[in-house]
Amino acid sequence: MEDILFIIIAAVFAMRYLLRLQARGVFTIMLIGLIGFFFSFTVAEMPPFGDPNNPVFNEIPARYMESGVADTGAVNIVSSVIIDYRAFDTLGEATVLFVAIAAVIATLKSH
Amino acid sequence: MTLEDQIVRITSRLVVPFIQVYGIYIILHGHLSPGGGFSGGAIFGSSLVLVALSFNLEVGAKQISHDTSSILESGGALGFILTGLVAVVLGGNFLSNQAAGFPMGEAGELFSAGAIFIITTFLGIKVASTIITLFYNIIEEEDKSGASH
Repeated sequence: MEDILFIIIAAVFAMRYLLRLQARGVFTIMLIGLIGFFFSFTVAEMPPFGDPNNPVFNEIPARYMESGVADTGAVNIVSSVIIDYRAFDTLGEATVLFVAIAAVIATLKSH
Repeated sequence: MTLEDQIVRITSRLVVPFIQVYGIYIILHGHLSPGGGFSGGAIFGSSLVLVALSFNLEVGAKQISHDTSSILESGGALGFILTGLVAVVLGGNFLSNQAAGFPMGEAGELFSAGAIFIITTFLGIKVASTIITLFYNIIEEEDKSGASH
């Protein structure tokens, strides 16, 4: 971890020398490098894709897959989740579409 | 905004009915196969956008008028909410399906899954007319200000 930080700082100073940046540009590059560092650190800590021991495979998807057809009557599990189990969330999504088009009409038709 | 291209016109005239049938198929089979209201509505709406792009705006507006599109757009959202309220009247929670006593049918049939079928249809209508209304509002504003051509 210290090595990566050292490499980032060295790269920033090398860029400052090469590109002749002002102090503000150096600060911007350091900030972007810091954000990128934390992002890549988070991705490296994520569990592997498709591993059955992942924390997302708890009792909730098991319930959906075992009794989804009996609960909702829909063969498509995705459909039974988004329109039956989480229908209120989908209503919010439809509202987002409605608000978006209302905003477009209000902006374009006003002048 | 006109596009004087014979190949594009003939191709879109041939292809548009198939796109529309496919969009309706995706909407109606939302509870049976991958897809649903959002994706099927996007397919259906983009077919009417294709008509307007390959011919011109007047021909496109003749397929579905602006008022009809607006009414369908608000009606889709209202139908969604009303389906949820019907569930409350029937004695379930808001937007509940089997608990409210919607007819469930046989799993795997086209007319099954109660409220899911109804809500998917309303969502498809809403998304299709949203795409059409959005397209016409933006393109007519471009045309009016003379930014295109």
